[in-house]
Amino acid sequence: MEETKKKKKPGTSVGVSGDVSISALGAFFVHLITGLFLAVGFWVARNKYSVDLISDPSFTLRLLWSIEFPLVVIIYSSFRKNPEKCSYSKAVGRSILGLISGAFLNVMGAIALGAPIGMQYLPKTIHWSFLMSVFTFVPATAVYGASWTDWHRVFASMKPSGNIEYMIFIPAYGAMIGGWFGAWPMPLDWERPWQEWPISVSYGAIGGYIVGQTVSLSLITFLRKHKNLKVA
Amino acid sequence: MTTAMTCTRLTIYTVAGIFLQVIGLSIFVFGFFPVKPTLSGVSDLESYRDPFCDSAPNPNESELHPEKLRLLYQELSGISSKYDRLILMVIDGLPAEFVLGKDGQPPRKAWKESMPYTQSLLANGDAIGYHAKAAPPTVTMPRLKAMVSGAIGGFLDVAFNFNTQALLDDNLLGQFFRIGWKMVMHGDETWLKLFPGLFMRHDSVSSFFVKDTVQVDRNVSRHLPNELNNDDWNLLILHYLGLDHVGHTGGRNSPLMASKLKEMDDVVRTMHLKATMDHSQDEGQTLLIIVSDHGMTESGNHGGSSYEETDSLMLFIGLGSNISDYAAATNNVAFQVDLAPTLAILFGVPIPKNNVGVLVPGTLDSLRDYEQLRALELNSWQLLRLMQAQLPSSLFGGFSCNCFLYGACEGLGSDINECFGDKEKQLICLFKNAAVLHSIWKSKKLIESSSSMEDFSRALDAYNAFLKTASEWLASKTTEKPVLLLGLGVSAILLSCVVCVTLFLSLFKEVYHEPKDRVCRGSHLLNSEDVFVLAVPLIFVISMGSSSMVEEEHYIWHFMVATFYLLLLFKTAKSFDFSKGMNILRDYKLGSIFSLLISGRLLKGWHQGGVNWTYLPDISKWLEQVGSGYVKRIQLISSFIVISLGLFTLFRTRSKRKIVCVLAFGFTTCGFLILLHAWRYQDDMFEVSTVTAKLIYLLLSISAIGAALALPWSMLNKDKCFLAEAGDCLYLIGSAYTLSWCLLQLLLQQPINSVPILLLLIQILAISGLSSKDSQVNEWVKIAALYYMGMAGHFALGNSNTLATIDVAGAFIGISSHSTILSGILMFMITYASPMLFLLSLVMHIGAYLRNHSHSTISAHRDTNLGEALKLRLGFPCLVPLCINSILLTAYTVVLLLMRNHLFVWSVFSPKYLYVCATTLCTYIGVFVVAVTPKRFIFLLFLVIHAISFLETTLIGNGTCLGDGAALIVTEPANTCRSWFCGGDAVLMVLGD
Repeated sequence: MEETKKKKKPGTSVGVSGDVSISALGAFFVHLITGLFLAVGFWVARNKYSVDLISDPSFTLRLLWSIEFPLVVIIYSSFRKNPEKCSYSKAVGRSILGLISGAFLNVMGAIALGAPIGMQYLPKTIHWSFLMSVFTFVPATAVYGASWTDWHRVFASMKPSGNIEYMIFIPAYGAMIGGWFGAWPMPLDWERPWQEWPISVSYGAIGGYIVGQTVSLSLITFLRKHKNLKVA
Repeated sequence: MTTAMTCTRLTIYTVAGIFLQVIGLSIFVFGFFPVKPTLSGVSDLESYRDPFCDSAPNPNESELHPEKLRLLYQELSGISSKYDRLILMVIDGLPAEFVLGKDGQPPRKAWKESMPYTQSLLANGDAIGYHAKAAPPTVTMPRLKAMVSGAIGGFLDVAFNFNTQALLDDNLLGQFFRIGWKMVMHGDETWLKLFPGLFMRHDSVSSFFVKDTVQVDRNVSRHLPNELNNDDWNLLILHYLGLDHVGHTGGRNSPLMASKLKEMDDVVRTMHLKATMDHSQDEGQTLLIIVSDHGMTESGNHGGSSYEETDSLMLFIGLGSNISDYAAATNNVAFQVDLAPTLAILFGVPIPKNNVGVLVPGTLDSLRDYEQLRALELNSWQLLRLMQAQLPSSLFGGFSCNCFLYGACEGLGSDINECFGDKEKQLICLFKNAAVLHSIWKSKKLIESSSSMEDFSRALDAYNAFLKTASEWLASKTTEKPVLLLGLGVSAILLSCVVCVTLFLSLFKEVYHEPKDRVCRGSHLLNSEDVFVLAVPLIFVISMGSSSMVEEEHYIWHFMVATFYLLLLFKTAKSFDFSKGMNILRDYKLGSIFSLLISGRLLKGWHQGGVNWTYLPDISKWLEQVGSGYVKRIQLISSFIVISLGLFTLFRTRSKRKIVCVLAFGFTTCGFLILLHAWRYQDDMFEVSTVTAKLIYLLLSISAIGAALALPWSMLNKDKCFLAEAGDCLYLIGSAYTLSWCLLQLLLQQPINSVPILLLLIQILAISGLSSKDSQVNEWVKIAALYYMGMAGHFALGNSNTLATIDVAGAFIGISSHSTILSGILMFMITYASPMLFLLSLVMHIGAYLRNHSHSTISAHRDTNLGEALKLRLGFPCLVPLCINSILLTAYTVVLLLMRNHLFVWSVFSPKYLYVCATTLCTYIGVFVVAVTPKRFIFLLFLVIHAISFLETTLIGNGTCLGDGAALIVTEPANTCRSWFCGGDAVLMVLGD
């Protein structure tokens, strides 16, 4: 839904590639676990608090992102760039910063596209933006920090090198595009509760995120085979 | 490889495409919205005479006393009127099925049991009920009009009735008023809108609060006891809205329905008991008629043409006709329009002129036989008069005054024949048969004094056959859609769309497939915003099929435009390169994009009404609630900023021409006048000083036209690069156009809209800020984006796809006498403020482009000629808006055709189609201005070329001091001359359109 994410402050560009690589199987497990935790979030909301996205969107969204966020941070911080220069705790710290700034940019983008402004929408918007930030910003900040060249290469030029970058940028784009499409039913006069902001957009974003994960996985396996063939 | 288009061919094809489109559109519109010929005036004494007789002058009819007129009518008609009072009870939205059942079956048990009294009346033969088929649109006001005037109005009649809602056509209530009836109305306020000043007493309720199902009817019923005891009225209209509200909130099977039907039944009982009591006391008879204006669907909606919605009720109580059983009392079919002639005959007034209904069979049973035939004759004459207006008079050649009476009709034997042939001939033949049989019966009756039953029934049947056919034919004239016309129109529109798109594609190929560009072609074609801009029309084509998407179109426009801004932002961020450090140009660009985003969001928030979400809070409502003082202050501030921004734009070119100063002075004066006007503006619109408004119109048109005419002359004596100079001039003219349009809108629009005008101006300036030299956005993308922004702004100014949001108040500013054309033009200007603004700003855009690319243009096209360059500059700004518009128009025409039986065809799709047509007109005007403005340059260039070729022959040297453009001209005089001729031709072609 947003393309605003490119507005990072200029940072020191660390162009050395000493990153941790990940196998296709590892990528599969990472995606599986993140996807499962989303499901866990929905399960907890339904069975423990007996709410769902429609009846209490802000609470459910908060639950979702607070379950998903630690997991994403823990996983992606171990794939940080230049692990010898950047400690694990530093990666965790910067991803918390990334969560907040990403949420801010997501809110700005959503408002620019017409998200309603008002006190009754504020908690929903905030929690939605945190969830979006977990999908889009947090993995990238955990891995790259504030390295503009890396961000630019991965997100703008779309020239990823290595599996981990596929795992970051395709689901992120998926979540944004899914959210964009999720906004479409909102003006229709079907008078369904899920047409309210941000329910359909959240569904779209989650759907897009999962589609993005699948696409990235298939790309990773396809490219690996391609490479192997080349090598052979 | 296609041959490159010359600019003459391009222009010819474009003009041909537009021409085709206009023709196709008009054919389609006249096919889809037929305009029936109506007769003006009201029926009077003449309606009791043979239509083929010369109209004898009715000298002092208008001065006749109402009572005398009534007696005269009665005498002329020869029908004694039994009733002197009429109670018309309208139950809004009651389907006839609730009372009469369906397909010969009695109504459902729940409904039948809720109306015990009415059902007993039907069973006893005291009442006779009809399924009265209503014509779409099944909404209250047109249906009431149909009932009282007997005419089926076309959609355009409804749509173009901006000025007044009053029913001006001949109608029953007007006729009753003329014979001095006193009328009372309680219920829906629609009656008061239709007949202002006609009612002696009234208490109106509004149908606005749909949730209110109780109070709305209680307000009517509380008058009932008093009114029934009064004897000062002749016509009592009771219009109950509650049942319709019940339907809207809960559908046909709403739990409230039974109690509402019971309530209606109680009203019927009260009225009937009172009426019979009066009758027994021999005070003249009261006729009680219960009608509904339309039915409802299962879910309780109405507006369309399904059986459930058109199945309205017509129930006569107290006719005294002999009805044998329940089935005969309920299983009758009629049309809603039949009420008008029936009531006219029963109460002894002339049948309204444009009536297409026929007498309801079974209502005249209590009349004597000669009266019945006379009534049918009067109805036939009236329909025949209406037909005469629509058929060539040669068909009526054989008839002459009273010829049937004397058996002296030329060429029409007095024998009865079967009627064949086409519909028109058949109608004439049927009428002749009926008239002949009637005269036979009359002559026999005179001689034998005892009427023969057989002749009577033959004449009756013949009249009924004629009336039925004629009524159907007349009704179909107003509702039928000629397939041939529609097909022709749609195919012409389709063809023109194909022409436009092909032209665009060929131009596109030519521009972007040049060898120079081939290197970066991939990046040219695969840009995300290019794809997006191409996808937008597609998205709209798809979304137009859904009625709620049409209603909420402003969401889509804003969503698309905002996405485009974000894509621009993404692109700018993509080209970020921190190694070069901060760059002023880039920061300027970023600032432009952010101002686009912010102003776009504010515009969206300003009016977010639409149709279904009108209750949502938005900025304009909030400001109006805060107080008019704030609105005024905001209006003053934004007007001031608009003026200063405009002056800034004028002086940005840094040209020190005198004319710029004159222009600036003119605009400042206008701005001052507008500020003054806004300052004095009080809450009522009629305080507006006409003189000031006229002065502002004059000044603004002088400034805009003067700029366009005078500026090109000022560039002659410059020795700068010619194209850059021309670009400067065009830029100035464009900004003069834009500014004068903005100032005009500040005057015309509602005060609350002054901020959106400012925001739109800011958007235009921001977009022109984006088109700096290193702009990576393709030209056509930018033009398309401008078009989209114009449409988004159209909705931001509070417009929607219903006709209700058109600002009528502003259309009378500065007009001293009422003139439909002038106010229509003003209304168009107000409604299309934003699309027109963005189209006018295209001139500015061309100027800026020419200036920025003057060097590259010359170098790139050194091997071609200047005509090509002109084509490339003017081609996109003209073709892109035309293309987008024709795609949307074509798609929407097809959608309308597919949706012609849709529930919302009259309430949603047809008004939207009117808007689409108006947008097309707006696009034509805008493109015309864009194409014509550079015409001045062409004439001047023509002069310059001649001067230079003269110089070339006399002087030696090739353009040492004449600048790039001149150098080119000097080196290739012949070629260039030809090409400029071509340019001149092209523009003249456009002018010819």
